[in-house]
Amino acid sequence: MDLPLPRLGGTRAGVALADAGPGPEGSGLGGGRAISLRVFEAGLACCAVEVSAALRRFAELAPQAEEGAGPPVHVLVVAGTVTDKLAPLVREAYRALPEPRLVLSFGACSNSGGPYWDSYCVTKGADQIIPVDVYVPGCPPRPEALVEGMRLLLDGVGAAS
Amino acid sequence: MTAAEIMAEAAQSLPAARCAAEGTTVTMDVPPEDWLAALSFARDVAGCDFFDWLTAVDEQDEGFAVLVHLYSIEDRQHLLVRTLIPRDNPVLPTASGIFRGAGWPERETHEMFGVVFDGHPGLAPLLLPEGFEGHPLRKDFALAARAAQEWPGAREPGERRAAERSRRRLVPPGVPDGWPPP
Amino acid sequence: MTDLAPRSRGVIGLLEENCTLCMLCARECPDWCIYIESHKEALPAPESGRPQVRNVLDRFAIDFSLCMYCGICIEACPYDALFWSGEFAYSETSIAGLTHEKDRLREWMWTVPPPPAHDAGAPLPREARAAGPGAGPG
Repeated sequence: MDLPLPRLGGTRAGVALADAGPGPEGSGLGGGRAISLRVFEAGLACCAVEVSAALRRFAELAPQAEEGAGPPVHVLVVAGTVTDKLAPLVREAYRALPEPRLVLSFGACSNSGGPYWDSYCVTKGADQIIPVDVYVPGCPPRPEALVEGMRLLLDGVGAAS
Repeated sequence: MTAAEIMAEAAQSLPAARCAAEGTTVTMDVPPEDWLAALSFARDVAGCDFFDWLTAVDEQDEGFAVLVHLYSIEDRQHLLVRTLIPRDNPVLPTASGIFRGAGWPERETHEMFGVVFDGHPGLAPLLLPEGFEGHPLRKDFALAARAAQEWPGAREPGERRAAERSRRRLVPPGVPDGWPPP
Repeated sequence: MTDLAPRSRGVIGLLEENCTLCMLCARECPDWCIYIESHKEALPAPESGRPQVRNVLDRFAIDFSLCMYCGICIEACPYDALFWSGEFAYSETSIAGLTHEKDRLREWMWTVPPPPAHDAGAPLPREARAAGPGAGPG
């Protein structure tokens, strides 16, 4: 049976995309349309450190609000383990967000409970209590993975409007 | 105070205490009735005035061991004070009168093990959600998720589903014998 | 952005040809996130003797929503069927999309980097030592 052998050392386009800087004008996040973004981080555990590193880089990618950007899109980034004790507060944080609002789940713990799926006091994923739009896998995901997750999230926004 | 000095002083002031020095840590085992005396000794005489943590260990038939880790910043000396309380009556006087920092660790130890600390200003649950039943860190508290979920590793090679009765019944790690109860 | 370090843990690739269905990865995984299904097939009997039975892999899936990237599966595999890759950009809009089936796990094999060079002064691996002088790197 002939099967193609893997080429060791190849890179996929996905990595190159993450390495790209701001790029030509208008080609940033959101599919070319200017978007004003407000990111609220629910930094619950270790993933919060990676989100902090990413948000600093994020500010370089999209430094200031542009003219005609429209009302801001509110993004709740849930980063870290959602314990049963803290779950009501995460839900309150989501309810307090004004529309339009999106939720990005960052890391294994907030995707599905992650390594603590069997714990007696862990909510198995933020999507048990709030609707999640994008799931970023990792334990913890790289800061660049948050940027890629944001691209996926905001491409949806760009396509919808 | 150095380790040797602590042990010498303890031999005089706390005759019921058994001390052992290992590395930079002195471990002092005291009976429950000497608990507060041992902590006062540690803070006032031995100079270990930095309260690090308080927790318990489920020693099953022997009861619950309650441990306090103290530290002397000046002398760089660790002191581990330990006592053993019976399982059917897990009561100990509160350490929060001697070390204010023991307040929250005692709340956590109470909800995780069921140890009652006499004289504690407010022994409310700290980390567990409201309505949680049971004491999770006791050894007989099984993680229900591990027994209820089908273990992917229970399948033998060449099987689609784990056989109900196989030659050797594969049990995932962390599930005690006989769980789930019939 | 930063270059990926040689042993970056981004995603896990499966080389299905090397998998013998020993199930060690599924058993050792602390998160129970590897799902393996297989069935037995009987090969035609040779001239003498009974038919050989072999295991055929039906399903090999890793649920990356649970995976904590510990690498125990890769270390436990005795047959080098699982590999680390540095790819990290595979976010999904649905959580079911984070369970990668074996065709997608094969795709990740194309991104597995060559193994990094041995550290200077490191002892030779067991296989090279057993092979005698002249074997091993350098």
